[in-house]
Amino acid sequence: MNKTLLLILLIFINHSSTTPSKEEYIERQGEVSFFSYTSVENIQATNNQALSIFDIKTNEVAVRILMRAFVFKKSLMHEHFNESYIESDLYPEATFSGTIVDFDSSITTEQTRIIKGDFTLKNITKPVEIKAKISKIDEDYSIDGNLEILIEDYNINIPALLSPNISKKIEVTFNFKYKPHEK
Amino acid sequence: MKSKVIYCILFLSISAHLSSQNLLDKLANEDIETSSYVMSTFKGTRISIGHSVETRKKNTLEISFMSRYWNVPQESSNSFIADRMCTRVGLDYGISDRLTVGFGSGNPNGIFDSYLKYRLVQQSTTKKGSPIGITLLQAGTYRTRSIKGIERRTNFGEKLAFTTQVLIARKFSRNFSFQISPTFIHRTSSNFSIDDHNHFAVGFSPRYKLNNHVALVSEYYYVINPLKSLDTYGAFALGVNWEVSDLLLQFKMTNNQIFTEDAFITQTAQNFNFRDGNFYFGFHATYHIQL
Repeated sequence: MNKTLLLILLIFINHSSTTPSKEEYIERQGEVSFFSYTSVENIQATNNQALSIFDIKTNEVAVRILMRAFVFKKSLMHEHFNESYIESDLYPEATFSGTIVDFDSSITTEQTRIIKGDFTLKNITKPVEIKAKISKIDEDYSIDGNLEILIEDYNINIPALLSPNISKKIEVTFNFKYKPHEK
Repeated sequence: MKSKVIYCILFLSISAHLSSQNLLDKLANEDIETSSYVMSTFKGTRISIGHSVETRKKNTLEISFMSRYWNVPQESSNSFIADRMCTRVGLDYGISDRLTVGFGSGNPNGIFDSYLKYRLVQQSTTKKGSPIGITLLQAGTYRTRSIKGIERRTNFGEKLAFTTQVLIARKFSRNFSFQISPTFIHRTSSNFSIDDHNHFAVGFSPRYKLNNHVALVSEYYYVINPLKSLDTYGAFALGVNWEVSDLLLQFKMTNNQIFTEDAFITQTAQNFNFRDGNFYFGFHATYHIQL
């Protein structure tokens, strides 16, 4: 019994690794920004190095974001973000993996869809639903959208003294432009 | 039969898991280019009383207020909180990410100081890069008033002192950093012929982070050839650094009252203890501005 299971598993693994990657699209310089608006101060940062893969056959999307690559207007904010809040030495990346619900690759115009998946930040994974616009431009795909993240969900500790400075809800926007993934 | 069903479910769940994991795994093989420098070996440009390897980033300005408070022994005093105080107001500006320039002036000791600090090597997070960070410091001071009568004071050139430091630091873990600071101090004149114009010293400065905003710091400077006309002791400080957004607050207990390196490293005339006259409480506030 165990042997057959192993065999099936092996076949499956082999199969998955030999799947042609024509349906795969990749983005290496995806833009992810976040905003925190409070009456005390506004914090904004942009990351232009987000990595993402989009599979139009399975409708799956995966994203990898390096926390250190977020650029702030204030260099001190960059330091505090990495050192005191995100602790990027311990948790260097945020990831997302999910599926676009009802994505139709035959539609060539813009389509608005929900992406359901798991967002991981500081080793904490939460299910998220993201409203996104997907459009096809020649051979390339573009996906953009936004989501809101609650600070308390991801173990980000803000001292009581500074809680007026940082919003409890962080707005995240993203803009990815995918090209066919060539190996 | 039952086991088969279980296996079947298991298999299905594994396969679903594998395929969703696959895309992320593929991304894991892609490289993201980024600087691999260790951040925040120390929080401020000063560990407690002395300079740290940290420089300021380009186009940032820091305004700092430094102060020391102490009591004078055997004085029936009616002073409010402390008998004496000494302050320094300073500006630090990041010319580039590696080069920082600073100016300051002290009151009531009348010392004007200025420094240039260059970050030569940054500690790397990877094994390939440097295991330590090295920063060079060159500072100069001008004394408008006589403090301990160490230097001759007939002309401008005799009232100067220069400090050169090679600051070597390593962030051993996310909480613990240690700095060794070989120091050379040159004073342009000496009032007494037994005093050397040049002094060599070494500073030792550990830092331990208590949490993401508060760190415990200490410093000790050992002078290899101390002044002979005056009994001096190694400068010592034990303090807490507290970071509140744009403000860095540094509280310390120390045995010296002057803020410039040449003064506190070579001319600290009292050892560290809690008696009046020896004990100095220090408070620095540094405000950070992005230009």
